[in-house]
Amino acid sequence: MFDFTVAGVEAPVLLLVLVGFTVGTVGGFIGVGGGYMVTPALIVFGFPGYMASGIDMTHIAGKGLVSTIRHRQLGNIDWTMALSMVAGTMLGVELGVRLLVYFKELGLSTIALLVTSVAVMFTLFLYTQFETRRAHKKICEMSEKGESIGREIQTSSLPRFFQNIPLSPIVRCRTARVVVSMWVIVLVGVVTGVLAGFLGVGGGFIRVPALVYLVGASTHIAVGTDLVEIVFSGGYGALRHSIEGHVDMMAVLFMISGAMIGAQFGSIATSFVRGPAIRYILSYSLILATCGAVLRLVYVLTGSSIEILSFFALVLTLGEMIFLCIFIVSLVVFAIRHRRGKWVPKWVPPLVC
Amino acid sequence: MRWFIDSMLGYWILVLAVSLGTAAVIYQIWLKDSL
Repeated sequence: MFDFTVAGVEAPVLLLVLVGFTVGTVGGFIGVGGGYMVTPALIVFGFPGYMASGIDMTHIAGKGLVSTIRHRQLGNIDWTMALSMVAGTMLGVELGVRLLVYFKELGLSTIALLVTSVAVMFTLFLYTQFETRRAHKKICEMSEKGESIGREIQTSSLPRFFQNIPLSPIVRCRTARVVVSMWVIVLVGVVTGVLAGFLGVGGGFIRVPALVYLVGASTHIAVGTDLVEIVFSGGYGALRHSIEGHVDMMAVLFMISGAMIGAQFGSIATSFVRGPAIRYILSYSLILATCGAVLRLVYVLTGSSIEILSFFALVLTLGEMIFLCIFIVSLVVFAIRHRRGKWVPKWVPPLVC
Repeated sequence: MRWFIDSMLGYWILVLAVSLGTAAVIYQIWLKDSL
């Protein structure tokens, strides 16, 4: 136990380091900040809500920077796309925060937040699962025919529709190999920014699927490019929270020490798998977060009287982080075994490279 | 038992069960008294 004097809380240090490591691994792998997992976890450990949010945002900025540097070395960042999106993201976040203030004045902020979270995450889960299963099946068929398989397989026709919108200026994103109207990228930034600002998260779990399914970026590029956005939005959020005195730097330090190692590992792990594997993990993360939000919604709607729901929401939040970490680590182990010609389960070869 | 490894759904269920069990143990050991 460590006494965090600024936050006025005693919390287990090892658990904070573990949370940092786990979220770092997941963030580096699927390109999310992990705000939707860390803030509830910190509240569970006894930190006040505003402190949890400030610590979370500060550690996300630091971890995002580490992941971004590593993804840059791996060639996973399209700077044209990232910089075109920044202005839209910032505008969207501001609109989202104003929308939240509006619901707060109506006294409906908690319910509106939880209902929106459930609706957005469950819709994204269904679409990601549906599309990724088709891509997985296609890889299996190509493998049976003996055709060479690239790192990325996409079966969605939405990117073609958005890439054909003839609105100037048209930008050429060289790394992502995409030619698209800049307004499409800005619009993606605004819409994902509104949701991120409204839900109070970095928005990676919305932006990565949006970049893949709307703009047509490969999953690896979407992950790296999204992390650049997270550095910008997380950095701004960290500064704002620090000014307001919402940050306990000791807690941030412990979390970042775990997150730095996790972020390096998660980023490197992306080079062992194909795009659909990352999208599968993202969809698993979404459905587990949806279940947690549903439990919290039912808990709030029943007047916070059914304690067992609170317990299940807590176990699910912690369990989700452990689950994602084990799944990513085991995929990397399977990928290494597959490279060495050793036995792996039948479903693994199409997902690793 | 083999199905839990050979099928992706089975593996998903196996890892999820292990993770939720670990989370429940962490709750019992570290968090129960401090919350």
